[in-house]
Amino acid sequence: MKRTHMLALAAGAVVLVVAAVALSSGAPAPGLIDNSELSRLQSEGARIVDVRTAAEFVGAHIEGAENVPVSDLAAVAADWDRTAAVVVYCAVGDRSDSAAGILQSMGFERVYDLGGGIVQWDGALAGGADSAPAAGAPEVATSGLPVFYEFYTDS
Amino acid sequence: MAPVVDRLAAEYQGTVEFRIINVETDAEGARLASSFGVQYVPSFVLFGSDGARQDLLIGEMSEEQLRIALDAFK
Repeated sequence: MKRTHMLALAAGAVVLVVAAVALSSGAPAPGLIDNSELSRLQSEGARIVDVRTAAEFVGAHIEGAENVPVSDLAAVAADWDRTAAVVVYCAVGDRSDSAAGILQSMGFERVYDLGGGIVQWDGALAGGADSAPAAGAPEVATSGLPVFYEFYTDS
Repeated sequence: MAPVVDRLAAEYQGTVEFRIINVETDAEGARLASSFGVQYVPSFVLFGSDGARQDLLIGEMSEEQLRIALDAFK
């Protein structure tokens, strides 16, 4: 058998072994995960990282998460255990996709990305509990025109 | 979202007032967002001319989606 074929077989075997270990431990394979897989990783003590801005984090975040904006992630994560499970999430999944790529490029072995972000999270939230507006009464002063607010960030 | 919202702001000038707030650089705006119950960005909050809240849109929106929300005021 050619040497290149042997190498390909060996690489395939390594992938299978890693997948088998992940399955036997009950942990999902690294990559995109859903709410139930995040809940399982949470219970196993995975590091949950909210990569949105501090203002967004203060508004509400997944219970137990720490806030590291994606722009700061490489510097902050430099001291983290690269063998431990790390789950990243953002609002809808764009920034967490970038964050997952950063961590993988740094050598983190178990990086999980909550697909869809916190918008579709159905578990417990922390923060922002008292931020809900009162229902019913007028909420803003107007000049007689309808008002359209956009709240955004540059990051 | 800036080009889309800018385009719509120009188009709806005189019929809808646009208030565009960067919650990272505008502390008062961030507090306002929190008082509206906004927890994610981008978010869009629409109020009728009487100041009563009509709608909350969360996440990236297409121009068509925003236009539908704005046209509800007509």
